[in-house]
Amino acid sequence: MIFDCHTHWGMCFVERDGRDPSAWLAVMDRYNVTHAIVLPHAGLEHAGHIADDHDDLAAVCAASDGRMIPFVTANPLDGDGGLAEIDRWLGDGEARGVKFHPWLQGMSVCTPFMDEVCERVAAHGAPILFHDGTPPYSLPAQIGMLARRHPRTTIVLGHTGLFEYWREAIAVMNARDNLWACLCGPQLEGVRQVLARCDRTRLLWGSDFGFTLFDALGYQLDLFRQAADDPTCQRILEDNPRRLLRWDA
Amino acid sequence: MAERRIIDGYTTPGTERETVMSVEALLGAMDVAGVARAVIAPDDRELAVDNVAGNARVAAMASRTDGRLIAACGANPWFGDQSIESLREARASGARMLVLAPALQGFSVVDELVDPLMRAAGELSMPVYVHTGQHAVGSPAQVLLLAERHASTRIILGHCGTTDYVADMRFVLEAALPNLWYELSFVRPFAMSVLHEAGGSDRFIWGSGAPRNDMSMQLRHFDEHWPIDEHPVTYAENLLRLLGEVAG
Repeated sequence: MIFDCHTHWGMCFVERDGRDPSAWLAVMDRYNVTHAIVLPHAGLEHAGHIADDHDDLAAVCAASDGRMIPFVTANPLDGDGGLAEIDRWLGDGEARGVKFHPWLQGMSVCTPFMDEVCERVAAHGAPILFHDGTPPYSLPAQIGMLARRHPRTTIVLGHTGLFEYWREAIAVMNARDNLWACLCGPQLEGVRQVLARCDRTRLLWGSDFGFTLFDALGYQLDLFRQAADDPTCQRILEDNPRRLLRWDA
Repeated sequence: MAERRIIDGYTTPGTERETVMSVEALLGAMDVAGVARAVIAPDDRELAVDNVAGNARVAAMASRTDGRLIAACGANPWFGDQSIESLREARASGARMLVLAPALQGFSVVDELVDPLMRAAGELSMPVYVHTGQHAVGSPAQVLLLAERHASTRIILGHCGTTDYVADMRFVLEAALPNLWYELSFVRPFAMSVLHEAGGSDRFIWGSGAPRNDMSMQLRHFDEHWPIDEHPVTYAENLLRLLGEVAG
């Protein structure tokens, strides 16, 4: 099994394919990627689209024979309404986690709402995956502060600091045991440094496929495999995602 | 088929941290990738605080390769007049390009601090490579401002805002400044169509960013999305023109 832990059911796919995942999955098949965490897109761009985006996401994942694993989001300005949206999807296990993209959603992670979200999501036994690697709201250390305040919440740096902040991601990963990181963005030497200096049991891999129609998988998988030996590939592409998602529970 | 000529627009064969790479290793990687020549730049510490020694090391590397490696040099504008002196010395020792790394060197690319150095580079006919990222001090929009302010200095915008500031490139490319070129190391190969649609395809310069990225892998993926045979301008000719090796 190979898990891509950072993909989207992007607006471009909704427009082109409706709720049919076959073309999306065909790209996964090209690289033997068996499963994917699928994040929202339209709902991240516009809070008014969250409910429809979640319905699309649930439908397309339901049509994927279990290969596409939905994460949902919430409107950070909607208080109880946002929390209710999280409960709606995590409560019956239809979604397996929550995603926030602070700069797209125009939110700081340092808010009372995010404190409530962290506790609520932890109560559901699910992780929260954040976009990270860009100021002003998405620096790894900022997300690390949230992890510090909520030690029972599993929080994932969705990009491991991206191209510019992977050193910061390493520093914060080594300071917070409840923080995970998805290798989806750093250049080759950044990936090598993360593998060498972070706890490999909390690392994931992702492509960001689906945000656009571009086939990002081939490049991102090649890059990761240049840096990782076979046991590390096994751990990061399969073992860790299964543990994060409580796959065998 | 005619032999392909590929020049790598930016490499960092350095001596520490993630840039460790000997001249032999670089030449070997070029042979494997089919890259004829490469720009070599000082490493991070050399760009930030050790300009003179770094420039000497890079010049020595280039001098051993019969023109296959093209020396770039560093000069930190915080050194004031001394930075201009070290630029002139580097030029006399064979450097063909000045590198500015605002985040490493501790200045904003729009700060007037850099103006004397930019003017000096222009007077020496040396193109100036500017790293974009970290973007608070080196974003594509800031480099556009710099290029407007220094119209007689040719500027290479490194990395095209990768990653999340690549969106800014649309407006930068549409501005089509005559003194601005766009280097592609760390750009995701599949993003080339976006950059192409925004214009500027006659101003791209391919670079691998080695050893931070793998030269062969970068070239293979770029060839898939921006074919080498269709874009000799990107893979060699723009850089050769900037260096004054071909007319135009």
